[in-house]
Amino acid sequence: MIKIKQILAVMLMAFSTSAFAAEEGGFKETIAAISTSVDGFFNDYTGWFVGGVFKSVPLGGANFPLIVGWLLLAAAIFTVYFGFIQFRRAGLAIDIVKGKYTDPNSKDEGEVSHFQALTTALSGTVGLGNIAGVGAALAIGGPGATFWMIVCGLLGMASKFCECTLGVKYRTILPSGAVSGGPMYYLSQGFAEKGLGGVGKFLAVGFALMCILGSFGGGNMFQANQAHAMLTYAFDVPSEYGIITGVVLAALVFSVIVGGMPSIASVTEKVVPWMAVLYVGMALIVIGANIDQVGAAFSAIFEGAFTGAGVVGGFVGALIQGLKRATFSNEAGVGSAAIAHSAVKTKEPVTEGLVSLLEPFIDTVVICTMTALVITIAGLNAAPFDGAGLTGVTLTAASFTETADVFKYLLALAVILFAFSTMISWSYYGLKAWTYLFGEGSTTELVFKVLFCVFVVVGATIQFGAVIDFSDAAIFAMSIFNIAGLYFLMPVVKKELNSFIARVYSGEIKKFK
Amino acid sequence: MREIKNFQIDLKRTLMQDGPKFLSHILVVKNHIAYIKPTISSMLFCVVYIVVGSFLITLASFIYIESQKMDLALFLGGFGIAITTFGISLIQPFLKRASFSKQSNLFNNKKDRNVKLTHIVSLQVNNKIVKRKQALSYHCFELNMLTKNGRRINILNHNDFLQLHGDAQALARFLDIPLLDLRREIIL
Repeated sequence: MIKIKQILAVMLMAFSTSAFAAEEGGFKETIAAISTSVDGFFNDYTGWFVGGVFKSVPLGGANFPLIVGWLLLAAAIFTVYFGFIQFRRAGLAIDIVKGKYTDPNSKDEGEVSHFQALTTALSGTVGLGNIAGVGAALAIGGPGATFWMIVCGLLGMASKFCECTLGVKYRTILPSGAVSGGPMYYLSQGFAEKGLGGVGKFLAVGFALMCILGSFGGGNMFQANQAHAMLTYAFDVPSEYGIITGVVLAALVFSVIVGGMPSIASVTEKVVPWMAVLYVGMALIVIGANIDQVGAAFSAIFEGAFTGAGVVGGFVGALIQGLKRATFSNEAGVGSAAIAHSAVKTKEPVTEGLVSLLEPFIDTVVICTMTALVITIAGLNAAPFDGAGLTGVTLTAASFTETADVFKYLLALAVILFAFSTMISWSYYGLKAWTYLFGEGSTTELVFKVLFCVFVVVGATIQFGAVIDFSDAAIFAMSIFNIAGLYFLMPVVKKELNSFIARVYSGEIKKFK
Repeated sequence: MREIKNFQIDLKRTLMQDGPKFLSHILVVKNHIAYIKPTISSMLFCVVYIVVGSFLITLASFIYIESQKMDLALFLGGFGIAITTFGISLIQPFLKRASFSKQSNLFNNKKDRNVKLTHIVSLQVNNKIVKRKQALSYHCFELNMLTKNGRRINILNHNDFLQLHGDAQALARFLDIPLLDLRREIIL
C-alpha cells in the first residue's frame, strides 16, 4: 500500500501542472532549442534540395515553381493523349466500381473488389490534404486557389489512371510472397523491355529515394505536426507539448508497423472511412446551414481565380497554391497511389487504372471544394492573403467552428485519426521503396520502421519551417522521376486501354448486371 | 430412402484468416501436461496499448484536477479508455493458456468445448499468406488438430515456421498421433 502511495506521489509530481509550471520555462526553452536546431539542420543540409525541387521562374509578378508546371503539363498531356479519358470513360469507371464487369460466381477467396479497393484508397487519400492543405492554399492563394485545385483535380485524373494501370501491369511477386508494385517496378521493368534498362533503373532508384524522403516528410512529419497543431487550436495545448503527442503517436505507429499485430491495422481500416464520412457530413451541415452564402462563395472562388485579388503574385499566385495543395492532396502524378493500387487482385490492369481516376475527382473536386466553401463562407480568411493569420488546419478548424463549436472537437478526432492512418499508409510506401533499394530482410526493415517512428516525434515536436518545406519538396520530387517514366510508358497504357475497350465492345468482356 | 452423402474434411484449409507477423506462442511440455505459452514479445506489443492508454487516462485526470479543462480531459480520457480497452482485448487471448493434460485426458483452450485427448485424431501444419491493405503481406502458419467428430481446432498461429514445426512434432509425440505437413503452394 505504501509502495502504491509512493508511486502515486511520484506520478503527481511528474504530471502536476504546478510541477510543469515550475519547469515550464526550461521545458519551453529546451523544446524551442531542439526545434530550432532541427529546423536549422534541415535548412543547412536540405535547403539546396528544397531550392532545387521548387526552382522558380518569375511569372506574372510571382515566382512560378517549375515543378508545378511539370505536374500540370503532364496531366494536360495525359488528358489529351488518352482522349479525355476522365470525361469519356467516367461512366465505365463507375460501372467497374459497381461490379458490372465482375462475374459474381468467380470471386476468389480473399479477393478485394474494385469498390473495396476504391474505398480503401480513398480513405487513404482523404485526409489532412483536404483539411490542412486546403486551409494552407486559401490562406496564401485566396479563395481563387480553389478553382485551380479543381482544375488540377480534373486533369490529375488522367495522371492517376496512367500510373495506377502501370502499377498493376508491372507488379512483382517478391520471394517472401508479398506483391510489390509501383513506380520502382514499372520504371525499371518498362524501360528494360524497351532496351533502356539503365535509364529505367536510374529513374526507379531516384523515385525510391524520394519516396523514402516523402514518407518521412509529408507522409509522417507533416501529419504529426498538424495533428498537434489541431490539439493546440481545439484545446489550447501548448505547442511545446508536441513531444507528448509525438511519443503517443509514435508508440501506436510502432505497434502497428513493427509489431505486425493483426487487429490494430484492421481497426484503423474500419475507423478511417467513418472519419471521412464524419468530415464530409460536417462540411455538408456547414454548407447547408449557410446555403444562402454558397452563391457568393462560388463567385469569390471564380473571381479570385482570375484576378488573384489580395494574393501575392495575383492570379498566378492563386494558381500556384491551388495546384500545389491539390497535388499534395490527391497525389496524382506523384506515384504513391500506384504502390497502393498494385496490390489489387485483377487480371486487367486498366480496370484498376479506371477505378483510380475517380479518386482525384472525389478527393479534390468534391471534398477539397467542400472545405474551401466552408472556409470562404466563414469569412475568416480575409485579404491580404499572405498566410500571416490563420493557416493550415487551424484556418479550416476555425471556419468549421463558426457554425458549431462542437465541430472543433469532432475535427480534432478526425484529424488525429487521419494523421495516424496516413502515417501507416506512407510507412508502407516508404517501406516498399526501402526494400526495393536495400532488399527484404528483418533487420533492414526494422531500421526503416524505427527511423519512421523517430520522425513522428520530430514532426510533432518542431515548429513549421524548413522541415515542412522539406516534407513538401520530397513528395513533389517523387513526381520528377515518376512523370519522366510515365511519358515513356504511356503507349503501353494506351495499348492496354484500347484492348480493354475493344473487348468490352465486342462482348468478350461480359457485363453481368 | 435418405440419400447418404459422402463428405471429406479439407485438412489443407486454414482456420484463421489473420495471424501475427511474429512468434506469438510456444509449446511447453512438462511431465503429463503440454501447454501453449505466449512469448514475451507478443505480450509487449499488447502492453504498448495498455501503457499508452493508461498514460492518456492519467494525463487526462491530472489535467482536469489541475486546470479544470474538461474538454481536453474528456478528449484525452476518451482516447485513453479506447486504447486501453483495445489493449486489454488484445492481451486476453494471450492469457488463455490452451493445455493438453494426460491426467484429466482433456484438451482445454478456454474457448471451445473440451476435447478428450483420445478423441484427437491428427495434427496438421497449414500455411497461408496474410494480406494487408497498407502493409507488406507475409507468410503465416497454423497448427490445427482434427477430432474424432470431425471438428478442427486451431492450436498455434504465427509466422515462425521452424518453431511451429518443432512444437508440432513435440505435441504429436506427446499425444502419440500423426502430424501431417499440409503446407501448399499459394498462388497470388
